[in-house]
Amino acid sequence: MKLLLDIVQAVLLVALAPLVRGIVSRIKARIQNRQGASVWRPYSDLRKLFAKEDLVPPTASFVFRLSPVLLFAVTVAAAAFIPVLHASALLGTMGDFILLAYLLAFGRFFLMLGAMDGGGAFGGMGASREALVSTLAEAPLLLALTAVAVVAHIATLAGIVQWTLQQDFFRLSAVHALAVAALALVAIAETGRIPVDNPTSHLELTMIHEAMVLEHSGPSLALIEWASAIKLNVMIALLIALFAPWGMATAFTAAGLAIAIAVYALKVAALAVVLAVVESSVAKLRMYMVPDFLGVACALSILAVVFTAVMR
Amino acid sequence: MIYGFNSFLLLLLAAPIVSLLCVKVKRARALSPIVLVAALLTGVATAAVSFWRGDPLSLDLSRFTPLPFALTVDRLSAFFLLLICVVSVPVVLYSASYIERHYEGLRRDGLWILLPAFIASMVLVVTASTGFAFLFGWELMTLLSAGLIMMEGDAGQRRHNIFIYLLMMHVGAAAVVGAFLLFLPHAPGLTFAAMRTVAAQMPQGMRTAIFLLAFLGFGTKAGIVPLHLWLPRAHPIAPSPVSALMSAVMLKTAVYAFVRFGFDFLGTGPAWWGYLVLAAGAVSGVLGVLYALAENDIKRLLAYSSVENIGIIFMALGAAMVLRAYGAPSLAALALLAALLHAINHALFKSTLFLGAGSVSDATHTLNMEELGGLLNRMPVTGIAMLVACCSIIGLPLFNGFVGEWLAFRAFLGGSTLPPIAPAIVLPLVAGVLALIGGLAAACFAKLYGVVFLSRPRSEKAEHAREVPVLMQLGVALPAAACVLIGIFPAIVLRPLMTTISELMPGTAMPAQATSIATVLPWLALAVIAIVAVVSLVRRTVRVTATWACGQPGLDARMQYTGTALSKPLRKVFSQVYRPDRAVNISPAGQPYFPETISYRSVRTTSFERTLYRPAVDAVVAAAHRLRRLQTGNIQVYLLYLFLALVSLLLFMRFL
Amino acid sequence: MGFVDIAAAKTLASSAVFIFITLLLLASAKRTRTCIVLFSMQGAVVTAQILATAYVHRSAEAYAVAFLVLVIKVLAIPYLLLRIVDRLNMPREVKASTTSAQSVFITAALILLSFLVIQPYVRAFNIDEDMLAAAIALVLTGCFLMVSRKKALMQVIGLLVMENGVFLAALTSTFGMPLVIEIGIFFDLLMGVFLMGLFVFRIRDTFDHLDVSKLRRLRG
Repeated sequence: MKLLLDIVQAVLLVALAPLVRGIVSRIKARIQNRQGASVWRPYSDLRKLFAKEDLVPPTASFVFRLSPVLLFAVTVAAAAFIPVLHASALLGTMGDFILLAYLLAFGRFFLMLGAMDGGGAFGGMGASREALVSTLAEAPLLLALTAVAVVAHIATLAGIVQWTLQQDFFRLSAVHALAVAALALVAIAETGRIPVDNPTSHLELTMIHEAMVLEHSGPSLALIEWASAIKLNVMIALLIALFAPWGMATAFTAAGLAIAIAVYALKVAALAVVLAVVESSVAKLRMYMVPDFLGVACALSILAVVFTAVMR
Repeated sequence: MIYGFNSFLLLLLAAPIVSLLCVKVKRARALSPIVLVAALLTGVATAAVSFWRGDPLSLDLSRFTPLPFALTVDRLSAFFLLLICVVSVPVVLYSASYIERHYEGLRRDGLWILLPAFIASMVLVVTASTGFAFLFGWELMTLLSAGLIMMEGDAGQRRHNIFIYLLMMHVGAAAVVGAFLLFLPHAPGLTFAAMRTVAAQMPQGMRTAIFLLAFLGFGTKAGIVPLHLWLPRAHPIAPSPVSALMSAVMLKTAVYAFVRFGFDFLGTGPAWWGYLVLAAGAVSGVLGVLYALAENDIKRLLAYSSVENIGIIFMALGAAMVLRAYGAPSLAALALLAALLHAINHALFKSTLFLGAGSVSDATHTLNMEELGGLLNRMPVTGIAMLVACCSIIGLPLFNGFVGEWLAFRAFLGGSTLPPIAPAIVLPLVAGVLALIGGLAAACFAKLYGVVFLSRPRSEKAEHAREVPVLMQLGVALPAAACVLIGIFPAIVLRPLMTTISELMPGTAMPAQATSIATVLPWLALAVIAIVAVVSLVRRTVRVTATWACGQPGLDARMQYTGTALSKPLRKVFSQVYRPDRAVNISPAGQPYFPETISYRSVRTTSFERTLYRPAVDAVVAAAHRLRRLQTGNIQVYLLYLFLALVSLLLFMRFL
Repeated sequence: MGFVDIAAAKTLASSAVFIFITLLLLASAKRTRTCIVLFSMQGAVVTAQILATAYVHRSAEAYAVAFLVLVIKVLAIPYLLLRIVDRLNMPREVKASTTSAQSVFITAALILLSFLVIQPYVRAFNIDEDMLAAAIALVLTGCFLMVSRKKALMQVIGLLVMENGVFLAALTSTFGMPLVIEIGIFFDLLMGVFLMGLFVFRIRDTFDHLDVSKLRRLRG
């Protein structure tokens, strides 16, 4: 039963990822006083792209076609590590949050290689900018997760969720406050949302992720878009699991599961609203201000780690 | 098993003799690599059995030498012996083809004589069990590697680089000899067994002196910042197989020696020893990868990357010393496990990278990244092996680099459970530094692989590249396959390593679930491969055509990003580290608004050269100038010196 | 009644964390209005803290003080400052001499310093460690803001943050000062802000900018 639920969790994270993206876009559109596309639009986009053919430049190597597939596969594997409906996940081990961070880095590495293989200027440009953002985002991500793990005295994601479930919501620890702030900033950088990167722009000056995927088309592009939606879903699920997991099912009863699903949907909706509000109210940062932004995240995560020892 | 070891040594020593004979008998040329490979395979078998089963081997040759000379293979030595032999096999296979293609006559023979001797000297260093044998092997290693570098030629700048290499190696060797000599009053004969028992009773000041001298000496050989200056000068100018051996194996002998001194002889020391090693490792890691990021010469980039990886190994070693000092021996064992695993991982993927660089240089006659490109289509086997090695060095899961980094992270995290505040803060923060190093390494190797192997060739040379001969392909493919194997099934190496460490630090047990990653990785690999297979089957047709590229027809190679451009954003963010000397010259000088030529020069010297080495060298030269006044050339002044020496000696004897 | 009990206890336990968060946000803020809003939020946290203390110790004076803090620090002073910002019509950005990231690092170091410094006193006098550290951190950060921000208005805000810190320190260690002194201090504060507002206009009219580093022209 546990295994079934774990598999269902992972499948839901993967299958509903485009929906989450659609919800964020719709809320953004409403805030900006537009009608906005339907929340199911990303699914029709994916269907359209899967039906098309793959265009490959003559000078590209097999890495060009392999990288979207690998990116998708690793991101789906990463989704199998996050507890969503109950305090356990399909894959898990001691220190699995390190594995999670490095799996996301795996996908990003191959995305950069695929971009460079395209043979145009945009690929290299996207790769070099992405290298800047991801390099500086690695340290705050791991330090914030480390701080949370140290406070919970356990190093598995499922274990941290179990520990948090037993804590009092109002006993806000400074470590958690700082860690959630740092992780929120890092999540924005990793998933390429405003203020770090604009996911809807195609202007040379403002693209980071979009520049890397410019040369891909058809099913390859569909896989990349889906993988980026899964990544957003994974970061949202991670934030919810680490900092606000109350409502997860503790027993395998139908009522418990129904409540877990409803509460989770509510939390995702809340975070989607927050993300949409942030994206609509803050301007995108100039690229060389992004190290400053990530430096703030780094300072917050270092402070979180130091507080684990000071406020013991 | 002793017969296996003895036959291994005999074959290894026979190889240079065979090569010497082949100078005369031209037709038996192929014999020398065959003998050498046979020797190394025997070595692999012996070391593997000794490592897995733990039977110690020893060989005592003190009868034939003036000072005690003995070899012992305990588990730690067996591990490093296995490392040396396993990495040398593909390197020798590679050189069998590489040396034929690039060298002839005296150089060729010289290489085949010196190469097995070099490997033998490294074997001597890791199996020595007396001080004399160790120092003999240590010095031989330096001299033979310098000789191998000189086989490539010693024109101008190369001679300067070889000189700096020999100079720094000997300064380090002086420190090492000093560390050994400090044991002398207590452990005559300088056998390791005696040193082990004596070190615990020595006064603290003496132990600290030994530790510092050992750290300085072995750190110079390993390439810790700021003693790393010789690394980017010596490794790129050597022939490719020699670079691979130097970077992958020789640096590890320094790690072995440091582990021997720090953990075996000196045992538990004060915490500041560990903090010193930790800090040095962290600085080396970050600076190494930052300098690697800025390089466009493939081999220099790989040399700086070796500095980075040695930094990671020393970070883990420093953490182990700190954890041990604060009374957490099981966590210290975990950190030591991380360090040793990273040592063998680095040996495997660095040898692939250097041999691959050699193949690239063989096919295109250049190592400048800005002239390469599109080599993956032209050299598929080399390209795939290099891709595997790049993924491993970054530490991506399912490749071997990840397991070492994961263990290191776990050890650092474990440090947060210690009661005193200092390690509880420092060790998790060092985990953040490791994450930063990993991120920078990803950027660096994405640049290396993307610029050299992907997309369009940037010059004629790259355009006409062709795949290298089979032996060279084999030499690159074998370590890459080992990287993937250890990456998915790390338990193969982890279990015997855990036994090795429990032998090194007796009485400590590994923390629970130390290798729990070994259970997840195969499932993860299965999941990823399954998803890739499913998706690939579902995908539709492919059409080869020019892509969008903003509607520009006729994209050529100049539209691509260069290596310099790829690293520019990071170099700008870390500009305080690089600080190049820039000079812009506009001529004619009197007409700044109507220039005829503008020249821009940007020279990067590492800040250590400016702030540490140059002043030190200047001080030594200034002192030497002042001492020159003693050399007056007047014979009566020299007689005066003798007279003064005689008088002071008499006074000294009288008043002693 | 039970719910109010719980709320009071939770507030007492966690307001230090909120103060640290507002401090870090103040350090990284880039616009003057954001700083004023953050100062107002700090005042709200302090009000909540006083209300919780008042409820737990059943002191009527404390309710009065809480009301004063609410009116003056959360409503009146920020409103005045926002009006000044509107009337001045100056560029919105805070001219800082350190980047956001550096300011946050320095503020983090100051917070740690304040924890370090109060160790002997906490054990000796049995005071709530978090609140006292928050108070000292407020003083230090206010001082840092005055030093590193070049706009005249930011000097005012830095001073107000420092005063917040002193007030909080008094609250933590002595459970508040006598009511009369509190009223006197608040009145002084209000007058101080009026005067500083006047001066800011004078500076702007004379020099046509608010950059205090340019006030060096005044020296002989």
